[in-house]
Amino acid sequence: MIAFTDTEKKEYRNIWVVAEILSGEIQPVTHELTGAARTLADLRKSEVWVVVMGSGIEGKPESLFAYGADVAIVVDNLGLSGFVDETETKIMKRLIVKYKPEVVICGATTRGRALMPRVAVMTNCGLTADCTGLSIDPENGDLLQTRPAFGGNIMATIRCSNHRPQMATVRPRVMKSPEPDPGRTGRIIKEEMLTSDTEKIKQIIDVFHSTETAVNLADAQIIISGGRGMKGPVGFNLLKQFAERVGGAAVGASRAAVDSGWIPYAHQVGQTGQTVQTKVYIACGISGQIQHLVGMQSCDLIIAIDKNPDTPMMQVADIAVVGDLFEIIPEIVREITNL
Amino acid sequence: MIHHIQNKIYHVELLPPKQDSEKLEKDLEIFSNRYLRVMDSGYCAGITDNAMGLLSFQGTEMIEELELPVIPEQVMIHLTTFHTKDDLGNILDICKSKGIRHLLIITGDGSERLPKLQPSDVGATDVESVTSVELLKYINREYPDTFVLGVAFNPYEPEEHEFEKMERKMKAGATFIITQPLIERNEVVDRLLKKYPEIPVIVDAWMSRKLHLLSEAVGYEMPENTEFDPISTLKMLHKLYPECGIYLSLLGFKTQYDLIKDIWV
Amino acid sequence: MKIVVCIKQVPATNDAKIDPKTKRIVRKGIKAILNPFDTYAVEEGVQLRDKFEGEVIALSMGPPKAKESLREAISVGVNRAILLSDRAFGGSDTWATSYVLAKAIEKIGDVNLVICGKQAIDGDTAQVGPGIAAHLDWLQATYIMAVEEISSSSIIVKRMHEDGYDICKMSLPAVITVVKDINTPRIPSLKGRLASRKCEIPVWKPDDIGADTSKIGLDGSPTKVVKIQPPPPRHTSTKKIEGSSTECAQALLRELRLRSIV
Repeated sequence: MIAFTDTEKKEYRNIWVVAEILSGEIQPVTHELTGAARTLADLRKSEVWVVVMGSGIEGKPESLFAYGADVAIVVDNLGLSGFVDETETKIMKRLIVKYKPEVVICGATTRGRALMPRVAVMTNCGLTADCTGLSIDPENGDLLQTRPAFGGNIMATIRCSNHRPQMATVRPRVMKSPEPDPGRTGRIIKEEMLTSDTEKIKQIIDVFHSTETAVNLADAQIIISGGRGMKGPVGFNLLKQFAERVGGAAVGASRAAVDSGWIPYAHQVGQTGQTVQTKVYIACGISGQIQHLVGMQSCDLIIAIDKNPDTPMMQVADIAVVGDLFEIIPEIVREITNL
Repeated sequence: MIHHIQNKIYHVELLPPKQDSEKLEKDLEIFSNRYLRVMDSGYCAGITDNAMGLLSFQGTEMIEELELPVIPEQVMIHLTTFHTKDDLGNILDICKSKGIRHLLIITGDGSERLPKLQPSDVGATDVESVTSVELLKYINREYPDTFVLGVAFNPYEPEEHEFEKMERKMKAGATFIITQPLIERNEVVDRLLKKYPEIPVIVDAWMSRKLHLLSEAVGYEMPENTEFDPISTLKMLHKLYPECGIYLSLLGFKTQYDLIKDIWV
Repeated sequence: MKIVVCIKQVPATNDAKIDPKTKRIVRKGIKAILNPFDTYAVEEGVQLRDKFEGEVIALSMGPPKAKESLREAISVGVNRAILLSDRAFGGSDTWATSYVLAKAIEKIGDVNLVICGKQAIDGDTAQVGPGIAAHLDWLQATYIMAVEEISSSSIIVKRMHEDGYDICKMSLPAVITVVKDINTPRIPSLKGRLASRKCEIPVWKPDDIGADTSKIGLDGSPTKVVKIQPPPPRHTSTKKIEGSSTECAQALLRELRLRSIV
């Protein structure tokens, strides 16, 4: 692929964020990425632009200025109420050609992961998925993208030196959302969706929203896991409540719990279950046999709750809470509810 | 099963080749030879089902594809809960048609590659996950008076829990028990024998010198440099548990097979 | 109906053992397996082929050893398989990989549907499926939980989203990527495995697919890995929280809030 010259690269400015809209609302991941983009833009002495594509989003993009956006490109059209990958790709391509952003980042959500690879190929750009870190190389201004690979056992730094824009996706809850500053202002640019953007041969014929989204182990940022100490299926209901309060958390289990018939095998973490690499793993009443540890040892933060302070899990944990989980967990659920 | 104990018939564990074997033809030949040897010796072949969750071929497929002769009292098939309902049905039908009566029913080791029976597959409404208990009930219901069903006992897991599970397994129709590997007298097994004096119990004798493999299998730390002589341990287990049968795990077919014929007399 | 399933042979990252001294995963002797997500793609291809007249072809870009995974696909019912393998393909990132696969699909010709697994467990990018669609300029649908209806000209699929799911109808040809809820992949039988060993698997090179050399391998990869390092070391000490249940709950909550988990 033909490399950009330095002169060509200089034509590309500003850090873009593609907003995530679900049910007409801008999602928290967009705030997180806007904050991250702000940091990058300050280093590049440029602006943060957020691309908001949706339907009936009047007045909502303005909320992004408080999080650090300078510009919101708004494409508001009924045709964007459902997610049509090809349509959003065509719009993105047109906007990129017109405005030449230096960087485009997007949430690594089901939509982001469908949209960005298509955009990257059609614009001949490099895309790095699931970045855990984004920074600027002080020598040449390139975006440095850090991400885990090989099941989280190595950290890779990726660069896209010869093409613009540089693209990356970032999972929700990886970047910290900035404190909104209501005093910040910005500009709106209205762009249109063209008839040529639509795909007549693709249509969304039905949409179902579920209030209770079952988070699966592989995608969860937080796993709350139970072992023999849960004493039965009722104990797992307690963990389900905890998971719901925390939000975006999945319930896991040790083999002992599954073998006792307390929770389906789909929740089993460990050598003969699933291996997980989440941000947070909360082990409740799990002793920590090696077959279980192998399945969750790569998690960033391990918290263990147990009556016994000396189990292998309590020793492996970053935070070990010694106590009765049947009292502690309901108490935490209460406290979170009152926040 | 009492027949095996009274007649001093060893149970010899046979592992089918793993599906990803790079020398499949050779592994099939080795399995065939071992199986035939076990049949000739009058022992009982205990054929495992995806042991350790490692995707392997099924005992019933091995017998069919390799056209191995079935002597009904000398074949025991292990059966785990990691099958689709259809696959489970196929295995049970083949066993029935070939006259294989002895089945060891275990929850088993899963993996991402293996499917798992769902409670609805086996008509269980009161559990979240299918264990050996539900599988036992299912087989007794769907294939009444066809099979002799046994279960596993793990003396290395918390006792109360393990005995409570055993009660449920017994109620579900288990008629014999095989223990996890022992290398010495085990008090928990002693208690098991006292609790179920009428039930044939088969003690698993670990025949490999590699004790660390046993640690991995039972999740129980054995001291690393323990000197271990499987043959003398086997003799000791016979002395300690004269009323029990013996299941030989990881028997060395080259070095140990010929030594054992004179031990249990 | 002609279906192509794209598969990848990957290291079994979950098979790794932990070095007790360093507490890190030991990566020696890790097996190569068919990417777990691709087993669902293969199963779906075989099931759809069984419903209609037609064939399902497994396609993979990789080293010669990747033929093993293609054979595994044949052992569960795929009609035939093709391997794309050449030094020139080496070093490809997802842009270049999806380009190569797209060219091969064009070469196979008259393909109605391409099925990919959601992602590969080594790269974990989930970019190749949509990338293939983009190179071919075909329609795409990702995170498919079910194929509700299919004919030679159109398909209706159930797509998973964070807030539920939608039903999407699109005309063929198209590319879909599938998730684990879509089916239960069958286990290869001994018969199937033995039969697959006899199958010829052609190996295609850049010339065979008319690939533009500037779009493959390192040249065709806009992203470059510039550094690889182990993740930050695990802590050495454990923070203990004790006391009454209320105290413990509050202390734990404080820790969770500090880290923006709650």
